[in-house]
Amino acid sequence: MAAGAAQGLGEGGGGGRGFLGPRVPAEVEAMARGVQDVGKEIFRRLLKVTVNALEGKDCRESVRLIAESANLSEEQLAFLISGMYTLLREALRLPLSTFKQEVFKEDLKELRIPEDFIVDFSSVVFGNRRPTSEGAALVPRSRLPSIQDFKWRVDVAISTSSLARALQPSILMMMKLSDGTAHRFEVPVAKFQELRYNVALILKEMNDLEKRSILKIQD
Amino acid sequence: MAAPEPPPEGSRPLSALLGAIAQAAFQGSAGVPEELLRAQLYPEAPPEEFRALRAKMGGLLQSIASADMDLNQLEAFLTAQTKKQGGITSDQAAVIAKFWKNHRTQIHESLISQSRWDNVLKNMNWRVDLKSQLRYIDQINTPVAIVEMELGKNGQESEFLCLEFDEAKLSQMLKKLSEIEESMTSLTQTT
Repeated sequence: MAAGAAQGLGEGGGGGRGFLGPRVPAEVEAMARGVQDVGKEIFRRLLKVTVNALEGKDCRESVRLIAESANLSEEQLAFLISGMYTLLREALRLPLSTFKQEVFKEDLKELRIPEDFIVDFSSVVFGNRRPTSEGAALVPRSRLPSIQDFKWRVDVAISTSSLARALQPSILMMMKLSDGTAHRFEVPVAKFQELRYNVALILKEMNDLEKRSILKIQD
Repeated sequence: MAAPEPPPEGSRPLSALLGAIAQAAFQGSAGVPEELLRAQLYPEAPPEEFRALRAKMGGLLQSIASADMDLNQLEAFLTAQTKKQGGITSDQAAVIAKFWKNHRTQIHESLISQSRWDNVLKNMNWRVDLKSQLRYIDQINTPVAIVEMELGKNGQESEFLCLEFDEAKLSQMLKKLSEIEESMTSLTQTT
């Protein structure tokens, strides 16, 4: 991105305390300028791509299609999409209970985004086009790996080099994690019971936690 | 020896000897040098005699442990040994029986772990957090569990696996664990 210098222009008179913060991100400003020359149809397609990207979908193909059909340079396209992405990401992060549509529209108006497009943006943030998986997919979240695939096998050793008659079950577990690694390990029966007990206990703790209304922070 | 109840003299050195043998053979520790054992337990016995005793006891323990004998099997086995030529005395048999009764589980467990080469789940710790805010979402307030699992091989440095579970993942996990439990129950019932 080349537009670092465009930061901090502020919003003349308005005090710049919009939902984007005191400094409107450079890519949003660049988008606001560039979007004026974009036709309605292209704009809608760009918006759709951006929403898909926010939901964590792969959008390379659709971006390529837009690039081919629209008369936009790669740089323009980059400004438009990244600006829309940032704008929506910041807007979607705010809880609907306190974030009012009028405020959002007003902020976009100050950015000189055309009225038609404001309506479209607003339908993403406040309307039925709001990305479905609010929690799950709003792209890069900081988190520890989680289990993606879990396989198991119960083995009973019949006989071993040190035991003529072992007949002891043990569990072999294989976990594939979201970070791409895989782990295989054995769980002796006693440990298995401990594991199962603890998982049930955690689940109970979580349910208890949800019931405790004191932790439901509301504004 | 004629005295009423207390264990016959000579039972104490023998059970100490069995302990030393078991430790070296089953628990994988270095074991006490033979000469030191003899000096401590049977100072009067000549080295060859002591070596023979130790080898005999070692062989018996090995057979008992390897078959994981229950009390009936053990009794039959030891009785046979007392009747065999060059076998054991009934006092020795009693000491062995007592020793096995006390150490069976422990010895069996360590023998089983001798044939375990994979990483083993050694321990787990967990914590439940309440997620309150994310960079992109102002309010979320969902609980999340952080689970740390210690995986390692005996005598090697463990690896710590830190995982995150939400409620759905956790109940999935619990379901799978119940399946495992069921499968084990059905196994132990049919055998």
